[in-house]
Amino acid sequence: MKFLKIGIRFWITITSVLSFLTGWIMLAHAPKPTQSSSGLTTVVTPLPTLEPLNQLSTFGSDDDNFQNQPLFNVQPNTRAQFRPAFRTGGS
Amino acid sequence: MISSIEFRAMNTSVMLAAEGDGAILGMYATKLFIDDCEQRFSRFLPASEVTELNRYAGNWLQVSDELMELLQLSMEYHKSTKGIFDPSILSDLKQAGYDRSMDEIRAHGVHNLPEVSNRLSRPSFDEISFDIDNRRVRLPRGLEIDLGGIAKGWIVEKAAQLLHKYVEACGVSAGGDILFIGRPQDGMDWDVSLEDPRTPTELLTQLHVPAGAIATSSIMKRTWSQGEKVRHHLIDPRTGEPAKTDWLSVTVISPSVIEADVFAKAILITGEKDFSGLPGAKELTFIAVDSNGNLSGSANYKDYIYEFASESI
Repeated sequence: MKFLKIGIRFWITITSVLSFLTGWIMLAHAPKPTQSSSGLTTVVTPLPTLEPLNQLSTFGSDDDNFQNQPLFNVQPNTRAQFRPAFRTGGS
Repeated sequence: MISSIEFRAMNTSVMLAAEGDGAILGMYATKLFIDDCEQRFSRFLPASEVTELNRYAGNWLQVSDELMELLQLSMEYHKSTKGIFDPSILSDLKQAGYDRSMDEIRAHGVHNLPEVSNRLSRPSFDEISFDIDNRRVRLPRGLEIDLGGIAKGWIVEKAAQLLHKYVEACGVSAGGDILFIGRPQDGMDWDVSLEDPRTPTELLTQLHVPAGAIATSSIMKRTWSQGEKVRHHLIDPRTGEPAKTDWLSVTVISPSVIEADVFAKAILITGEKDFSGLPGAKELTFIAVDSNGNLSGSANYKDYIYEFASESI
């Protein structure tokens, strides 16, 4: 039994050393990594510049002009003018 | 500052104008009201109340307060115009080819040539029964109605009253039926351009109205070809055919846009020879345009034409 234990320890030691040496040799002979090409250029996209938001206080002000602004940005368009162009001619 | 919006409804162009702090809110509320009315009174919409009423002719049908009011007004004007204003000419209108909205006819043409008229055998408009207490109406079997001749004026009147709750001065126009309530802050009258019926993109003259209504009826706006005949939408109930009249358009100025709307049609249908037979027509202010573009009308019609414009007439 004692001889068996000694044999196993010997076998593990030998296979470990051999595996280490095999790996060392393989890595030593492996091709080196490709160097980055000097022809490539890096493009940096600039961030868009956004319009500043209106101040919240604008919507809550007592500014009379606010009453004449459209509430929605959908049709029909609202426009302010001196005289609306009424026409009559039947339909 | 007067604000205004324009949009399309009732197969025509609608314009709202208002002056005051509540103008924008009022105009959007008014637009919603007009859109709702169109759904209720159009004969071209299968789910409208008028379509439902025609479908159930011969039976009692409960109707809205608005339709009840409109039908009773129609009956009053039917009597006061001696039958010239007649919402029961729908069968004649369809026979003349106007069986779909004008937008559809312009796109696809009329369907078929006319069949035999049922004009003499069908019941008349004044045979409609009203049950006011229960808000019910019964059309006689075989009768169909089209409220197009009065509904637009009624809608304009109600819409202007609604808009006036938000502002001091406002105007509402639907296809040239216009009601002004109040006067702009600058104290000037409202301006209205009178279109040339021969070329609607061009203007004949410029009118000014302090407040009240103005409405125009024309035989040149809704026209189409049916076989070799050129048709228009103003049916003469005495013949069941599109009216043969010596005027192309008639404009009425009146305190009520409903009255202006109805009488513009009635005066145009009866024409120069017969309009004086309409009760009350002589007291109305009206402007008629003939095929040469000449203006004529009641004795006071020039009071509403700007002086600079009258020089060119």
